[in-house]
Amino acid sequence: MEDPRPLDGIRVVERASGVAAAYAGRLLAAMGAEVFMAEPPDHSPLRREAPFLPGGGSALFAYLGAEKRSVLCDLADPVDREAFHGLVAAAQILIDDTPVADRAGQGLDPASVAARHPHLVHLSVLPFGAEGPKAGWCGAEINMIHAGGEGFLLPNGLSADLFPDRPPLKIAGHFAEMQGGVAAALAGLSALWSGQGQFVDASVQDANVAVGAFAVQRFGDGSVEHRSTRSFRYGGVIECRDGFVELLTLEERQWEGLVDLLGRPDWATDPALRDAAERSSRGDTINANIRDWASDQPVADLVARAQELGVPMAPYNTPDEILAGRQETARGIFREVAGPGEENVRVQSAPFRFGAQPLPVAQAAPAPGADQHLLVAHPPREARKVQA
Amino acid sequence: MTRPLEGIRIADFTVHAAGPFCTHMLSQLGAECIKIETALRPDIFRKPHAVYGRAGPATFDQVASNKLSVRLNLKHPDGVALAKQLVAVSDVAAESFRAGVMKRLGLGYDALRGVREDIVMVSVSSSGQTGPDSHFAGYAPLFGAWGGLGYLSGYRDGPPVEMRHVMDHSVGMNAALATVAALHKRRRTGKGSHVDVAAREVASSLVGDALAAASAGAAPERMGNDDPQRAPHGLYPTAEADRWLSLAVGTDAAWHRLAALMGQPGLGRDPRFSTAADRVANRAQVDAAVTGWSRTQQPETAAASLQRAGIPAHLSWRASDIVADPHMRARGAIVDVTETDGATRAAVGFPARFSGSDQPGMTRGTPELGEHEAYVFGDLLGLAQARIRDLIAERAIY
Repeated sequence: MEDPRPLDGIRVVERASGVAAAYAGRLLAAMGAEVFMAEPPDHSPLRREAPFLPGGGSALFAYLGAEKRSVLCDLADPVDREAFHGLVAAAQILIDDTPVADRAGQGLDPASVAARHPHLVHLSVLPFGAEGPKAGWCGAEINMIHAGGEGFLLPNGLSADLFPDRPPLKIAGHFAEMQGGVAAALAGLSALWSGQGQFVDASVQDANVAVGAFAVQRFGDGSVEHRSTRSFRYGGVIECRDGFVELLTLEERQWEGLVDLLGRPDWATDPALRDAAERSSRGDTINANIRDWASDQPVADLVARAQELGVPMAPYNTPDEILAGRQETARGIFREVAGPGEENVRVQSAPFRFGAQPLPVAQAAPAPGADQHLLVAHPPREARKVQA
Repeated sequence: MTRPLEGIRIADFTVHAAGPFCTHMLSQLGAECIKIETALRPDIFRKPHAVYGRAGPATFDQVASNKLSVRLNLKHPDGVALAKQLVAVSDVAAESFRAGVMKRLGLGYDALRGVREDIVMVSVSSSGQTGPDSHFAGYAPLFGAWGGLGYLSGYRDGPPVEMRHVMDHSVGMNAALATVAALHKRRRTGKGSHVDVAAREVASSLVGDALAAASAGAAPERMGNDDPQRAPHGLYPTAEADRWLSLAVGTDAAWHRLAALMGQPGLGRDPRFSTAADRVANRAQVDAAVTGWSRTQQPETAAASLQRAGIPAHLSWRASDIVADPHMRARGAIVDVTETDGATRAAVGFPARFSGSDQPGMTRGTPELGEHEAYVFGDLLGLAQARIRDLIAERAIY
């Protein structure tokens, strides 16, 4: 029998059309909360979002919807709305990313929700938050990575060297929206811990500014960072014979290990390079030498030797390498579940665990309305339509 | 009202960026966070690193804000004993050494449970506490590389891209979330947990959709700023140099509104751009048309106009934009914090607001090493002044 999960017994209703809110729900579900996606009659738009599985279904939804339940409800329909509130009444957290301007019309404005469910943590997850002059602004992933400041600073390192004139670059996938989701889940659980039913206003932009705090601190110290100047002076992305590795030596002993890894060539044993500031000023030369040497090295062998010498180095793993990785396999971080079509998919549960075993993923993302019978005192939609 | 985590105490052994960001978030939420360091080897983020090519320290001031500081020499038996006493009066013990280090110090999970049965121990590491790579050293760019986020980020015709401190802090945010979840478990079951946060698994969780696709036989690759379902989508130049406009047009209606805003309503009717699929297939022409317009636009005005038309748009902001933004200030997402020396600087607040609790935030700046020992060793642990002096003389408190 698997260990109890930390959020067993907590019930969440999720009204999500974007990744941030859905990811907040996903993390809570992974930790044991029972999460009901309350989807509109035409289903969550996330079911139609890339990337797609070879069979055509959404891999994004397969990932975000795992471990959740699905009910369909039309909040413009009074019967559905009552059923929705029945579900919310039995929940501790409501996650909602309905735009601010649409909330009152759906009965989802904070005052209405608080009046009806005073015990509830009403967790709003919006690109720019629910309060403040830009609360009404919309934002897709690419806007949010730039509204948070990190987008302006990317790429750096080898990509910036190779393409200095190109516009800034986003991080792959939904990085910024997922930061919003993690921060929202943290805020929601913290509010629940306080025992006080309340409205919690999480913002994807705020979350990205938080994880990008370094840039704000640097500004406070008197400088504005720029992607063209924040590359590591040496190390970084290094091309090898069969792929790329990342190399970063912050401490003296790590540099000494790197010199050993390099085979102690004359240029690296130059006594002047024992001084960190001197290494920094000669970074270009050092990196030219490292790149020349690495171009003939096989990735797996190089990383193994580096780590033995205490040199921080990692391979740039492809998706297939991660799925088959020895560490990932040993820790059992992926579980196979049914995909939306014929094929099965492997999904990661959560990037943390509460003991030796990974959190399980028992349920694939549900079909739309798969749990419709759990809507309290609610006849099936089709039956009601016939009656109407 | 109080802050949400008021009453929770954290014995904070974390160093570098990821672990300290976890306890920093929890401290903003109201937890009392006691940072444990030693003068023998202060947190390496207290000092500058030449590899970054600048003289000042990294993010230490941000993540150390709000924390109390004590010195403990964990290589001295009395230092370890004091650490255990501190854990015994704490709810959470957080650490971010390489897997196995805490156990070697005599501070592993079993040892901590021995002094506090229901302790929530949080271990943040590069690859997790178990598995063949658990001993690996790593920093943010390595986490991103291991976890696939680095491989999948980059231009189509370029190399992978290294993740920077946002990767560390994302690990810390996940760790903070897991910590609060473990507290809920403790409240319900009376049992503590050993929370194991693997940074490379955080990186892979952020591309979990691409990994799911790959597991079924798809072959996700780097795609720069492109989106497979949207065009225009990317960064567009404005009338100011290096001032970029991010834009994402996801629907036909938004495309028509954009065409009108650009003064070219004909584009909305152009059969080459009728549907999202058409626009994606003809992305180069779409981008050329948008670029022709955007490079004549004043940046902030253009973003505001697009937002008024309901089109997702935002400038690529620098730190200077963020710090000065009235919206961020109004939300408390940017706050001013006063350092011990009296200087004030802008810092990042907690990324959410609460209607039923006091707002999270910072109440003090970076602590001096050992600044709060009278409170922690005297008031909390009840040590007499003479005993504290002896422990300092013996370099157990050092």
